[in-house]
Amino acid sequence: MSSRKGQKDAARVVRQQLARERRRKRTLWTSLAAVAVLVIAGGIGWAFWSSQRSDNFTPPPGAVGAGTGVVYGAGPVTIELYEDFLCPACAQFQQASGATINQLVAEGKARVVFHPVAYLNRFSTTSYSTRSAAASGCAAQGGKFREYAEALFQRQPPEGGAGLSNAELVDIAAGVGLDRNDFGSCVSDGTYEPWTEHVTEAASKAGVTGTPTVKIDGKEVADRSPAGITAAVEAAGR
Amino acid sequence: MIVTAPSAGVAARWPAARPWLGVAVRLGLAAVWLFAGGAKVGDLAASGRAVNAYQVMPYDVATVVGAALPFVELALGLLLLIGLATRLAAGVSAALLLVFVAGIASAWARGLAIDCGCFGDGGQLAAGQSPSYLPELLRDLGFLALAGFLLIWPRTAVSVDGWLAGAPVEDDDE
Repeated sequence: MSSRKGQKDAARVVRQQLARERRRKRTLWTSLAAVAVLVIAGGIGWAFWSSQRSDNFTPPPGAVGAGTGVVYGAGPVTIELYEDFLCPACAQFQQASGATINQLVAEGKARVVFHPVAYLNRFSTTSYSTRSAAASGCAAQGGKFREYAEALFQRQPPEGGAGLSNAELVDIAAGVGLDRNDFGSCVSDGTYEPWTEHVTEAASKAGVTGTPTVKIDGKEVADRSPAGITAAVEAAGR
Repeated sequence: MIVTAPSAGVAARWPAARPWLGVAVRLGLAAVWLFAGGAKVGDLAASGRAVNAYQVMPYDVATVVGAALPFVELALGLLLLIGLATRLAAGVSAALLLVFVAGIASAWARGLAIDCGCFGDGGQLAAGQSPSYLPELLRDLGFLALAGFLLIWPRTAVSVDGWLAGAPVEDDDE
């Protein structure tokens, strides 16, 4: 073997090693850059989320102690309703069992804690879930929460659209006898939007993952039919 | 002879076709992440609730994961879209998909009635709705196959990786 060929071979080996070294460095730097991008993206999400949530909220009059829902009635058994005004299953539930619940309240057997949660903001283009729940807070301020909630379910807009406008929310309020001016400014100021956020987060924390959820004295009720509700209230009241 | 000729031709063309097939795979996986992240990013609270619905971590942790995840998914989609650090992005994709598959499988095994929340909607299903765990799992396994392809062959045509490397490299085994 000639020394010239040996030199050429050695030079090639060195070139290859240098190329490999360059490649390794490049891969290292691009990988580091990519990891940085992913970590920063996650951090942005977290920061964004933390900045969105507000800790200050004012519950409307008539709310329970922790401010997580609106109370009506004064019976010994507590019926907790977790509902989103955009949720079709909630409207069906109200239609099927609303009268029964009202009767249990009227008979003094139960009180209701209604948690107007905003779980379904994704399903309207205008965050109707938050707007309608905040509007229900305005109705509580005016002392007509239950009437207003029932009217909202009767006028429930379809999922996937714009929902009802603020003006329509005010019209419905006027229809149940609330003061149009007070209610209108309460809605347009978004007075109870921080409260809605609080209600929603508290419900999530309490393990409520879907709407409607009905709890009677803290126990989730699977049978939400009028008979099921009545039976559960009587069992709890005994 | 006549029967084997086409397959021999395909085998010969594989090295030339692979970077282009790789582009399709890379853009496909990028689209998956961009859609998945984009669907969730508008409602971070809902994203947190969807994570919480799996009941595998405390609520406060779930909300942080739910807030960070859409942005990580979008970033992964962008990396794959431009083809930067493709192998790493494919590796992270595969790892995330394995976590999702494990999550869905465990939700199924525990009898939870939830939507996977993969593309935005999520959380518990209304009464009468039945979960579609099997299609969700198969879909994620399909995405996992895309990530696997890129893990094995990260060098694709029209990518920042290729541009940084300059001339096409004869030995792809980085």
